[in-house]
Amino acid sequence: MAEAGSFHVPRFGVRERVKAFLNAELVNILAAILFLLLVIFLLYPILAVLIKSIKDPEGLTLSYYVKFFTKGYYFRSLTNTLLLGLMNTLVCLIAGFCLAYLTTRGPLLLRKPLKLVAMMPLIAPPYLFAISLIILFGHNGIMTKAFGIKWSLYGFTGVVIAQTLAFIPLAYLMIENTLRSLNPNLEESAYDLGASEIRIIRTITIPLLAPGILKAGLLVFVMTIAEFGNAAILGGRTPFLAPDTYTMIIGEADFEMGSVLSVILIIPCIIIFFLHNYMLTGKKFTTIGGKPVASEPRKMTPLVKIPFILIASTVGMAIIVSFGMVLLASFTRILGVNNELVLMHIKNFDSNLAIYNSIKVSLIAALIGAMVGTLLAYVIVRGKFFGRSFIEMISLSGFALPGTVIGIGYLLAFNAPPLKLTGGIMILALNSVFRFLAVGVEAGISKLHQINIEIEEASADLGANFMVTFYKIVLPLMFPAFIAGFIYTFMTTLVSLSAVVFLVSPGFELAAVRIFDRAVYGEIGNASATTMKLVAIVILCMVILNYITKKTGFDVSQKKGSVTV
Amino acid sequence: MKGKVIFGIVAVMVSVVLMSSHGFAQEIRAYMGLSPENNAKVVNFIKGKTGIQILQTFQSFGEIEAKVKSEAPNFNADMITGCGSPLAFMAKKNQWVVPYDSPAWKGVSSEFIDQDKNWFNISNFSFVLVGNKNKLQEKGLSMPKSWKELLDPKWKDQIVMPSPLSSGTANMIRFAFLALYGEEEGWKFLQALDKNIHHYTRSGNAPTDLVGRGEFLLGITSDENVKKRIDEGYPLIWSVPQEGIGYDGTFALIFKTTKKMAECKKVIDVMGTPEFSSMMAEIGYVTPRPAENKLYGKVTPKYIKLDLGYAAEMRPKWNDIWKEKFRTEFK
Repeated sequence: MAEAGSFHVPRFGVRERVKAFLNAELVNILAAILFLLLVIFLLYPILAVLIKSIKDPEGLTLSYYVKFFTKGYYFRSLTNTLLLGLMNTLVCLIAGFCLAYLTTRGPLLLRKPLKLVAMMPLIAPPYLFAISLIILFGHNGIMTKAFGIKWSLYGFTGVVIAQTLAFIPLAYLMIENTLRSLNPNLEESAYDLGASEIRIIRTITIPLLAPGILKAGLLVFVMTIAEFGNAAILGGRTPFLAPDTYTMIIGEADFEMGSVLSVILIIPCIIIFFLHNYMLTGKKFTTIGGKPVASEPRKMTPLVKIPFILIASTVGMAIIVSFGMVLLASFTRILGVNNELVLMHIKNFDSNLAIYNSIKVSLIAALIGAMVGTLLAYVIVRGKFFGRSFIEMISLSGFALPGTVIGIGYLLAFNAPPLKLTGGIMILALNSVFRFLAVGVEAGISKLHQINIEIEEASADLGANFMVTFYKIVLPLMFPAFIAGFIYTFMTTLVSLSAVVFLVSPGFELAAVRIFDRAVYGEIGNASATTMKLVAIVILCMVILNYITKKTGFDVSQKKGSVTV
Repeated sequence: MKGKVIFGIVAVMVSVVLMSSHGFAQEIRAYMGLSPENNAKVVNFIKGKTGIQILQTFQSFGEIEAKVKSEAPNFNADMITGCGSPLAFMAKKNQWVVPYDSPAWKGVSSEFIDQDKNWFNISNFSFVLVGNKNKLQEKGLSMPKSWKELLDPKWKDQIVMPSPLSSGTANMIRFAFLALYGEEEGWKFLQALDKNIHHYTRSGNAPTDLVGRGEFLLGITSDENVKKRIDEGYPLIWSVPQEGIGYDGTFALIFKTTKKMAECKKVIDVMGTPEFSSMMAEIGYVTPRPAENKLYGKVTPKYIKLDLGYAAEMRPKWNDIWKEKFRTEFK
């Protein structure tokens, strides 16, 4: 104590100076820390994959790439994957647009139920559709037997159907968000001036939607080619890159070729990511007309209404039936063999620990993700340092990186000291944090653009230091963006398989991995029951979140609006 | 206020992370590649005998091999309590393991224990031919008596078997046929068989379920789950064709890096007891200590003569040949 007293005066000076320094430089310090995090947890793993793919014991080599391009079976895998990605993206965008148009411009009666159905697949593992398709259209499937269908499910078409159903909600969500924030006045004036609905859609709605559609397309494309559950279960003899990468690593323990496949998988994603960024620069006209106005349900012309409703109801029925089948399978002894109704799968509590683990990991990921995302958005918008747009680009690039690649990258990068994370729980959470960061960052950026910097300046002028301003003004205003990042990261982490499958360790099982293993293993009843439990828990979480945000004066649907575009 | 909240959140998270990384004394982490149910049986048996809790996640032999290879030499487990022969031989060669001369394994024949005591084979498993009783009857077909009969065009697209790229069982199936017919003729047989195979599954047990549910008529599959599925009511029949079947071991070993050597040794000791063998035989495995087998009964099935070490060594090359021959189709 005596010592402290004697240093009292100089220390006060230092403290003041430190305080002043912090006040002035905190944004930059924060930016530096965040940048470091991005480098360690996003760039370094990707680099590790790249290095692995060009290194052999004797030094640098391109021999693995030569092998890839000269052997037919790898190349086939690439063309199949690209074809799958393109077909899927196209179908998802069309279906997503029809659904979004109906839920924002269509008959009031249809809006709520359609939206609900379209969002359902978001809360289930994507390969739920593989399971239900086998139950329905497998060689011994219900429909196959009932109608004597000769078509074989196992192959390219089966995978396309399953992947499309799994990722329509993503396309829908993005397009719906943009569509909802578009001012309908423009469309209405065109309508009043006598333009036909088809012409309005073609010349006004879709051009205004371009950014949303582009983003939806990119996201669907990346997810489709990376999530390998459906392709692994339904692929039959058709090779695809993502399951091949998985087999290469997990089956053959060939990390060099696995890395090559990963790099090849990244390339189309990166190209589309840059294309998307390039096409969006200078296209800021989406916000025309300021605040969105609730759109009156217009009378849709039958020429538009009938095909739209036809597409939407086909998709909707497929989704409902798929969920129904999985529900049925979880209450049947062996669906298709012994259709006795039983509770044995539901009462099998072996999966409880895995579900609990998944929730724990997802919560940690969501919390860190939302925090990092919000802070990143802040330094990107408010920071005044060189390289801001570079940080923005890196933090948004996460969602253009296939999960399989991130998983392998983390496995390669964090398996040895100084940063040994494998075998722990944090590696499972962190890969999700940085993969799904983009949503929180984008929501944060768009929120900050709405907040006038004058409020912060006023606070500073009145004597508040940076920290006070940040806590009292910025954080509360950015809370919706925080929630957006939180919800998205939580939900996707819970059901996503492609990265964590490489990272789980003995004694710490995750629900998504467990369901996939059981499904591949053939235990449909067990896999279905675990899926249903997971879905029930996600719904419960959403209800609780909804309740909390309502209580605290936020509307979740509004948050979802800021989630994406 | 907000600062406190965030501090609180961070504190909770840190404690969660610390808690989960804190192990308990009587727990060991092991890679274990039996089926999920059989893993559980072994875990419970060991716990009952020693009080040691084995923490494990169901993974296939292939997954375990990749994990171990990627983690070497910093393994995230204390031991392996079930992997295929390629990994067991690789681990011995690279000196990832601690030899242990267990008193409980005295007198076990050389197929089941390494001469330098690096690995312990806790059970042999094989592959059998399975068929769907109902579907075969419907179509007026009967179970083939010999492997050669599978080449008949009437089985086109009606047979499933696992892929050796992802499954240890399939690796065993492949080297059994190469040993049975000799390498040149063996590949010719596999190529002819390929014409009738619908597709190659990821897991070695998947054909049992696919055939059991009537998706396909015939399957070449791991014998691990066959009896269990029949007991559950799947309309399955199984047979050992006249040429015989191949086999592979399920290996246990202790990693050099473990900090729980005493516990690991106890686990190995238990695995050498006749009681453990009886338990495994009851599931359907052929065991180090002779015991009546649930699937095959008292007679050991006819085995094809194999060299597991050679097969482990040749696997990468055979995988390349496999991909050349069987992977280019587009359906």
